[in-house]
Formats: sequence, structure tokens, C-alpha cells
Amino acid sequence: MEDEIFEQRTDLSKLSTAVEQIKATLAKIIIGQHDSIDLLIAGILADGHILIEGVPGVAKTLTAKLIAKSIDAKYSRIQFTPDLMPSDILGTSVFNPKTADFEFKHGPIFGNIILIDEINRAPAKTQSALFEVMEERQLTIDGQTYKMEEPFTVLATQNPVEHEGTYRLPEAQLDRFIFKIEIKYPSLDEEIAILSQQHNQKTNDQLKHIEPVLSAQDVVALRQLVLGLHVEEKILIYAAKIIHESRNSKSLYLGGSPRASLAIINAAKALAAIKGRDFVTPDDITYVAAPVLRHRIMLTPDKEMEGVTPDDVVAQIIQKIEVPR
Amino acid sequence: MTNSHLYLLKNFNYMHKFIPAFFIALLMTVFLTGTPCAAVKKAHAIVRTDTSKIDVKQFDAKAINNYHKDKDFNYSGEAVGQPTFWERFWNWLWGKIMQLFGKVPFAGPFLKYLLLGLAITLLIYVIFKSLGIDAMQLLRGDAKKLDLPYSESLENIHEMNFDAEIEKAISRHDFRLAVRLLYLKCLKQLSDKELIRWQIDKTNAAYIYELTDPVQKQTFGLLTRQFEFIWYGDFPIDKDTFSKINALFQNFKNHLQ
Repeated sequence: MEDEIFEQRTDLSKLSTAVEQIKATLAKIIIGQHDSIDLLIAGILADGHILIEGVPGVAKTLTAKLIAKSIDAKYSRIQFTPDLMPSDILGTSVFNPKTADFEFKHGPIFGNIILIDEINRAPAKTQSALFEVMEERQLTIDGQTYKMEEPFTVLATQNPVEHEGTYRLPEAQLDRFIFKIEIKYPSLDEEIAILSQQHNQKTNDQLKHIEPVLSAQDVVALRQLVLGLHVEEKILIYAAKIIHESRNSKSLYLGGSPRASLAIINAAKALAAIKGRDFVTPDDITYVAAPVLRHRIMLTPDKEMEGVTPDDVVAQIIQKIEVPR
Repeated sequence: MTNSHLYLLKNFNYMHKFIPAFFIALLMTVFLTGTPCAAVKKAHAIVRTDTSKIDVKQFDAKAINNYHKDKDFNYSGEAVGQPTFWERFWNWLWGKIMQLFGKVPFAGPFLKYLLLGLAITLLIYVIFKSLGIDAMQLLRGDAKKLDLPYSESLENIHEMNFDAEIEKAISRHDFRLAVRLLYLKCLKQLSDKELIRWQIDKTNAAYIYELTDPVQKQTFGLLTRQFEFIWYGDFPIDKDTFSKINALFQNFKNHLQ
């Protein structure tokens, strides 16, 4: 009915088809987690890095691998360990006796889709190596700057920080992730479906038959499309008010950064595109607010002791802000 | 082996039970008999009497008399000096309070405890406030709720004259605003019929979710989509398009009635 009144201004058909195909591919292996998958796709379309958190065994790595496999691009996987050095990630200069000169040997970070598994197993020194590359998409080593190829996306998984042998990521690094997606335990029905699927499966290699849906160039083009979506000024003000309120909240020790404001808008645009709209609504903003803010904000010690979660505070902040209408 | 030896051997099993009792009795005898022996020794001590002369000291009557005359030590007389303005104010205030409550039995103790209670409450309030703790929240035991007031208020949809405003917008050919007002009016109608609970923080999707009737949900969802295309999407709207959308809103209004 709405198509009879308003015609779409932007051709989102390719994006919609790609999203449906990725979802269908993932649904063959991953049971449930629909919101997480939507956010993962939105994060990639919004040109962001994504942090996936969950207890061991909830298919964090598998989900990230599937997303990476659905894009035909250079894929690297780095398993973070406590003894990992920055040069193990970035690369290092090696002396070449033939040329009698040092040559830079590229590290695994040089790729399009980088899966960092258990990112919080490495200490702060190693985490710091990712600061420049995640934000500026470039690396400076020995005075030489190396530009990353587009698309460049880091998909990182981590166990909750309460688990043994983990380090809390530095705030500066957390701020570089557009989303923190929390993967919860499946429901009973989903658990039964997982067991049933596993039982009926004849092979253990689940990823063998996964075909890429998008090329690296397609991802870059779709990101450009998403970037150009319409956002009304009232929506920008609404998003800014949410972030601003997080800075004034008595429940928070650290509020959202300006990068968080940008992340909310970019993520909301991507979500709108996934929903088939070329404009952002307040619903898009409220939907992405928690995943954008939950890893950026810090609770005051008393709120932490009371058992308040970052998501509770974000919900309360949103309740305080008037929806533009 | 003699007969007595044989007797002892025969009764050994019976006798060994008395061995611990024997030792206890022996120890008690030693302790109890030791104490009187010590007492007997002390009875021979020599008692000596103090025969030195005692010189009784007397207070100086003249000095005491001087103290009696000193007005600094006169606590029963009138206060020295004039009361300050602050003291006079408090005297006046207490006088008034006692005039009011003077006839009430037990007014004095009651006032005393009331003021004491108020002072303690104020002190607790100041401490809690300075620590940033919500005392009421602690009493309720619901620590997870954060009581945040709304930062601002939207136009009150229950006080707006929608029909007049819509007419004005149409006459100015401001169809975008007219659709917005139609949507707000629709929300008011739903709120009046208690189908939704109007709150400024709720998004349009939240209102759609709140509706329980599937037909209402679908129709309101459609209206919401039109509103969003125009208000958030900035889609152009002319008179014809407005007429179509207006018809949809009127149908929904009729459906609600």
C-alpha cells in the first residue's frame, strides 16, 4: 500500500538481496541469534569493527567466521594469547642478505576481514598495536605508513572479563568498535534444534559448503550507499541528546564519546537500509543505542555493586529523551 | 606364688577400674591439705599500729567567702550583659511555640522529641545526599530502577486543538505538518481509548507493539509508515498525496469509533 503512495528514492535491492542471502546462509548453521546477525551485518555495512562477547561455547567464533566467509575477501585469523607481541600482528622488518636491506614482512592484520579470536587474552601492550590500524586504517612501522585495503573490518570475540586469564580492553580500543554484540545462551527450543542439526549432519566441516555472497568491492559499494542515506536534523539531535545525557548521567563514570555519536548514526543508517528504508527513524537509533554504548560507558562503582548493567542505564537514558515526532 | 598373689591376679580386671579414681583422690588430698598449712604459717605475722600524730588541714574560710562573693561563680542570678539579637529572636520564637503548645499535655517532651527526630532526619538526608544515595530506593529494595525525570516535555497532545491546527496547515499548503498533526491526533485517539499509553520516550514501533488487535496493529502500522516517510524521510507531499493519506487516517478514526 505504501508503495502506491511513495516510491523508493534509493535502490536498495542489491543490499536487500545480499542481506537475505547472508541471513539464509547463516541460518543453515547458526540457530537463533537473529538480532546478533542483524547487528553483525549492520556493523559491516556501517564500516565498523565489531566486538562479539559471550561465554565459551555460544558460537561467537563460528558466527564471525561465517560472516567472514560470506564475503569474498582476504580473510585472516589471529588467535590472541598472553605472549602475543605487537609485531606478531602487524608484521616486522626482516633483514634480506641478498639485497642487504631490511624488508617489511606483513603481519596477519593485512587483510580485509580480520577475525581476532579471544581478543582479551592479550595484554594491553599488544592491544595498543591495534589502535592506529582500527581507527585510521593504516599502520606506521619504522617510519613507513601502510594503508589498509578496503574493506577493512575487525571482528573480535572475547569472553566476559570476569573469566580467568583475560584482560579488560583499554577504553581507547573499546571505543573503536562500533558494536559490542552480546551472544546469550540459546533458548530450550534453539538448544534442541542445535542438537538435532548436529545429529543429522553427516560432516563436521560446516563451513565447507559456504559460498561467498558479496565481493570486497560489493561491500565497499554498499557502504557508500549506506553512508548516503537520509537523516533528518531532528534525528541527529535525538542521537546527540542520548550521548550527551550519557555524559551527565549520575550512574555513569564515563559517558559516550563523539565517536559514539557517529557510530549511532552510521549504525542506524545501516539498520534502516537492512529494513528497506533510505532514511533513519528514532526506532533505528534506539535499537542500536545499547550495542553502540554498552562497551563505551563505565558505570559508577556503586551502580556496579547494585547489579545495574550498562544496558539498564542506556534504557533509562533513552527513557529520558523525548522522541522527535 | 602365694595365695595373695593369686587373689590379686584373679581380681586384676576388676581392680584396674579403680586406678584413675585413686590418683584423683590422691591429688585432691595434696591440694586441700596444702592450703590450711599455708594459713597456719600466716597467723604468726606481727600487726603494727601507726602511732604518728595526724595534723588535720582546714579550709581557708576567708578564701571561701571571697569565692562566694565573686559574681563569676554566681549561677543563680541574672545573666550578665544584654542578650544579642539572635538570642532575643530564639527567646521570642520559643515563647510563641510554648504559647501554642503550652496548654497541650506533654507538649514539652513531644516537641523535644519531634525536633530531635527532625534534626536526625535532616542529618541522614544530608549524609545520603552528599554520598549520592537515594534513600527511598534503598527502602524500596529496588536498586535496579534509576529514577530519571524527563528532561523536557513534548507538546501536550491532550491539550492541542488538532482540527484547527490541521486546517491551518492545509490552508498554508504545509502538508508535511498536516500529516504530522494527523498522526499525533491518531495517537491521542488511541490514548483516549486506552489502547496505548502515551509517553514521550516511546517510539512509533513501541505504540504499534502495544496494540493488541491485529487489524488495528496493521492499519496503524501502515499510517505510521506514511508518517515516517514524510516526517523522517522528507519525502515530498502534494495535495493529492495528502488527500490519500488523510483518507487513511479518517478510515482509522472511523474504525476506532
